[in-house]
Amino acid sequence: MVVLREGMCPGLDEDLLRDLRAADIKTVEDLVSSDIEGLAQKCSVSYKALFAIRRVLLAQHTAFPVSGADLYEELLSSTAILSTGNPSLDKLLDSGLYTGEITELSGGPGSGKSQVCFGVAVHISYQLKQSVIYIDTTGGLAASRLLQMLQAETSNTEEQMEALQRIHVFRLFDVYALLDCLYSLRSGGLQQASVGGGSVKAVIVDSVSAVISPLLGGKQNEGMSLMIQVAGALKTMAKDFNVAALVTNHVTRSGSGEVQPGLGVSWSHIPRTRILLERVEKAAAVSQPKMSWSVMEAMTGQLVFQTFWMFT
Amino acid sequence: ILEQSVTVCASCQLLARLEARRCLKDIEPRLFPEDRGPDQGDWPRPPTHSKTELLYHLLCRCVLPEAAGGLEVDVVFVDTDYSLDMLHLVSILDSKLSAADEAALRSCLSRLLFVHCYSSSQLLLTLHFLETTLSSRPALALILIDSISAFYWVDRCEGGASYTKQEEKLSRCAELLGRLLRDYRITVFATCHAIRRPGVPSSSSDSERSYLCRSWQRLVTHRLLCSRQEPGNNMVSWSSSFCVTEAGVAFLSASEENKCAARQ
Repeated sequence: MVVLREGMCPGLDEDLLRDLRAADIKTVEDLVSSDIEGLAQKCSVSYKALFAIRRVLLAQHTAFPVSGADLYEELLSSTAILSTGNPSLDKLLDSGLYTGEITELSGGPGSGKSQVCFGVAVHISYQLKQSVIYIDTTGGLAASRLLQMLQAETSNTEEQMEALQRIHVFRLFDVYALLDCLYSLRSGGLQQASVGGGSVKAVIVDSVSAVISPLLGGKQNEGMSLMIQVAGALKTMAKDFNVAALVTNHVTRSGSGEVQPGLGVSWSHIPRTRILLERVEKAAAVSQPKMSWSVMEAMTGQLVFQTFWMFT
Repeated sequence: ILEQSVTVCASCQLLARLEARRCLKDIEPRLFPEDRGPDQGDWPRPPTHSKTELLYHLLCRCVLPEAAGGLEVDVVFVDTDYSLDMLHLVSILDSKLSAADEAALRSCLSRLLFVHCYSSSQLLLTLHFLETTLSSRPALALILIDSISAFYWVDRCEGGASYTKQEEKLSRCAELLGRLLRDYRITVFATCHAIRRPGVPSSSSDSERSYLCRSWQRLVTHRLLCSRQEPGNNMVSWSSSFCVTEAGVAFLSASEENKCAARQ
């Protein structure tokens, strides 16, 4: 609710505010929904003046309709698809991570979600030369691991350092800090991070369930409300700034015993694409990093196909 | 003179209201058989994007030119959770229009008005604003809301302990929509996500009961329940199957339905 305040629009002075409050009109919504003629009589102000105030307030606070044709033009020119660096994963994601969308990686402990996120961050910062925001809520990010991955791409230390500089890390451990961080990124933080390197193209939150799932369950509504606010903040940032959002989630077992992504029914429609990662027990000797990726790919291929069929 | 122009505007608005808007009785005969045209439809269902797919299906049917099997009416799409996939929508329209007809695609898209709301207060104010749009565009016959339940948890938390305060904003939206429905003779479709209430043991009948406020429940005249499995109880009067493909929603004929059921 937007509370009526003096000076919000021309004509809304202290006296009028007082009269309106006496008539039980305290917010913009109250004013817009009420009968202007009756109100004008009660507050001894002209109908025209009150109608004009109503029109200005409505124009200030409403969402403006956009024609479909204009929206389509804008999307065509601003949507990008970011490769994750892993061709099989790209194929599953229909060419890669889409900007303006949230993609979710879920899996049990040790299934490789954070490693996939590191790989994506390294690929975007080194190959695509764009900046990445990495929000770490589990403490699992180590710069040495990022450096190790970069050393596999290039042996030039200057390039490695430049790529590392394009990955901006935020460490936070509760949902309020996460919301704070997302809001501050939206209001200027993303522009700041883009200075010096390429513009920010991806925001990775590893993991989103670590800060939200402790608040769910029980009879309180606050946890659900905070979860929806985090979803809203991520989506708004993804759409307004054309970044790809990648989040990780844990898994739980459903009533019938099968593995499903966590955070429940209310989160399930938030990400556009969901990938379930599972560790394959009979993996061959994983001496080369590339080998373990391909084993995961085979597994994820099946699972994503199932999930995708359900979620298109 | 000012007084006169005000009256002229008022009578234009009045005429715009009384003039018959395009009747949407035949919008989708497989969902709404001839005798029960839709007025206000509401779709709760377990989460996937197929509710939105059904909305796209109806949207395309409305904006396509008559030559391509459409109704040529204007549509307002109110998006509350950023789930509009414009590129997918355009690919569905493309598949229904004759190949590579840029001009026709553009004219279809110009019949679509898209609005995004980030809170229920903004939804209420936007619906008020839409009233003026309704008067100035007599071809506007359909409002699609995806989804009406997006602010449910946020409103419940903001409303504190009182249920009335929690539901206040949505009930105001419902009342306003009711007035727009009566005054302007439009049709409204809304999707509603299924939820699991904290502290309540989950059961299959939970997702079928509406959890939104009473004013909204009173407003709904048709309720379509989308579900992956067969309807269990006898609340359902009639059912139909569809599957979601690259080119949008495809309804299955009875024989295809049986084949699908046999496979599962």
